[in-house]
Amino acid sequence: MKRHTPSSRNRWGFPDLGLGVGLRTVHYPHILEKRPDVDFFEILSENYMDSGGRPAWVLDQIAEAYPVVLHGVSLSIGSTDPLDREHLTKLKALADRTRALWVSDHLCWTGVSGRNTHDLLPMPLTEEALSHVVGRVRTVSDFLERPLILENASTYAEFTASSMPEWEFFARLMEEADCGMLLDVNNVYVSSYNHGFDPKQYLDAIPPSRVAQYHLAGHTNKGTHIIDTHNDYVIDPVWELYRHSVERTGNVSTLLEWDADIPAFEVIHAEALKARAFRREESNPGRERKDLEAAAS
Amino acid sequence: MKPRPLELPLDRVQRWMLAVIEQPGTAEEAVVSPAARAELDPEDIEGVILPSKTLSPVERVGVYQGMYLLRMIEALEGDYPAVAHFLGSDAFAELVERYAKAHPSRSYTFNRFGGKFPEFIRDAKWLRRRAVLTDLARLERAVTEVFDAPQSPAWPAEAIEKMPRESWETAVLRPIEALRVLSFAYPVNAYLQSVKTENHDHPALPRRASWVAVYRKDYEVWRLDLGKPAYDFLHALANGRPFGKAVAAAARGLQGSPGDQIFRWLRAWVAEGMFQSAG
Repeated sequence: MKRHTPSSRNRWGFPDLGLGVGLRTVHYPHILEKRPDVDFFEILSENYMDSGGRPAWVLDQIAEAYPVVLHGVSLSIGSTDPLDREHLTKLKALADRTRALWVSDHLCWTGVSGRNTHDLLPMPLTEEALSHVVGRVRTVSDFLERPLILENASTYAEFTASSMPEWEFFARLMEEADCGMLLDVNNVYVSSYNHGFDPKQYLDAIPPSRVAQYHLAGHTNKGTHIIDTHNDYVIDPVWELYRHSVERTGNVSTLLEWDADIPAFEVIHAEALKARAFRREESNPGRERKDLEAAAS
Repeated sequence: MKPRPLELPLDRVQRWMLAVIEQPGTAEEAVVSPAARAELDPEDIEGVILPSKTLSPVERVGVYQGMYLLRMIEALEGDYPAVAHFLGSDAFAELVERYAKAHPSRSYTFNRFGGKFPEFIRDAKWLRRRAVLTDLARLERAVTEVFDAPQSPAWPAEAIEKMPRESWETAVLRPIEALRVLSFAYPVNAYLQSVKTENHDHPALPRRASWVAVYRKDYEVWRLDLGKPAYDFLHALANGRPFGKAVAAAARGLQGSPGDQIFRWLRAWVAEGMFQSAG
């Protein structure tokens, strides 16, 4: 049984699960056969909500052997369309089935007028948008019966009407809606490059007690802008930003994403384990899986 | 100096951005399209999107717009690899562009996006060899549906022998959820197999009827070629017809005494887990 460090710094007592990897289809055979020593897996919620076949069968085995957290891409919390009750119902069922320690999605909208672009589209950072999202986060948290964790998405456009920086929007959102943050350090770097702000200013403005999880990933620099492609190793400046943020938050569950040009599982896992060098030395009293579930309940 | 913001409500900003993103072509073309113009005068874009040091407002929205169609193509390539291979990348991209315009994704899951693709191809009068492509798409859609279908318990093989002889005539076999029984005007299963095995010597696709069962066993999707009588029998069973009537449907295509053949098929299909119960 794996042992993990409890974290007393975050708002909900979520444990520090350690260093995890995103579960991807191409790695199913390796994981089921080798049972690699991974601290936790993050699954893309929408890939498992509607499947009763192999994905569900594999997921049940993974959830039995490893801590699992859910990460979605279609909640569309910022959309002006009504929330999708079918989506929420299936998300809750999946979270219950996998005994997910928490459920996350993105601060974004994915579509409107009943259509879904399947992209993480940026929000105008206005009082109107903040009020809109706060109300919806509360509704979703009540429905899921667990706090909603929202990730900062990489953005490629800024709105002229924005009246506050994203870090202030996030800080106020988390306070007013009582939600948490999945702090994607690569996305902070990408957006800082695209919009010309200081990424450390962003990280320093995030309340440490609200950070439930970190994401790390690679990206593609087009020269004029950076695209969040999740197809490469984490670059050194992002590792340094991660170190900077961990100094404030303490060790928080950290996950490496790799979604395109996916290499062998060992390569991804080794990249995730690089984070050890940037985390803090902390005592490790350890927790059993049942303790993790108690902490999440 | 920061441009003066345009006072637009959130829903209108989102509708405008969606209209731009869904538009094919360049970003410059997208922002002047009728759908985008209905929400925002192209002259006013700086009032909604800021320029960066390196990109204009149109180029910044264009980052999202440029990725939209690529994402739709990638999704349908995953579900319809044989259709994509048959058409080639340019023709497939054009097909997806037209499809996405007619049937934009309306679900939280990409799995449903391609649900109407076979019917869209069937009705696309401008498309060359659409009859072949329709068959290919129907087969590939069945594979996707079977892959994700709910898991059903399988009727055990020994249950056949335990069924009282007098019960067979009226017995109705209940298929598993992950079973599709299909007939085609072209031998598309062989073509799909050649694409999946990356065999570049693809079989010709002359007009010749074929029949295929697509089913899931041990969480793997299988495609079983059938002859016409076997198809008639399995199709009748899968559609809830009593065993006696299903046998009659198949027997029309069989010579001599069909009983032995019928039960050989049945045993094989039950062993493959195609049914969950009989009663």
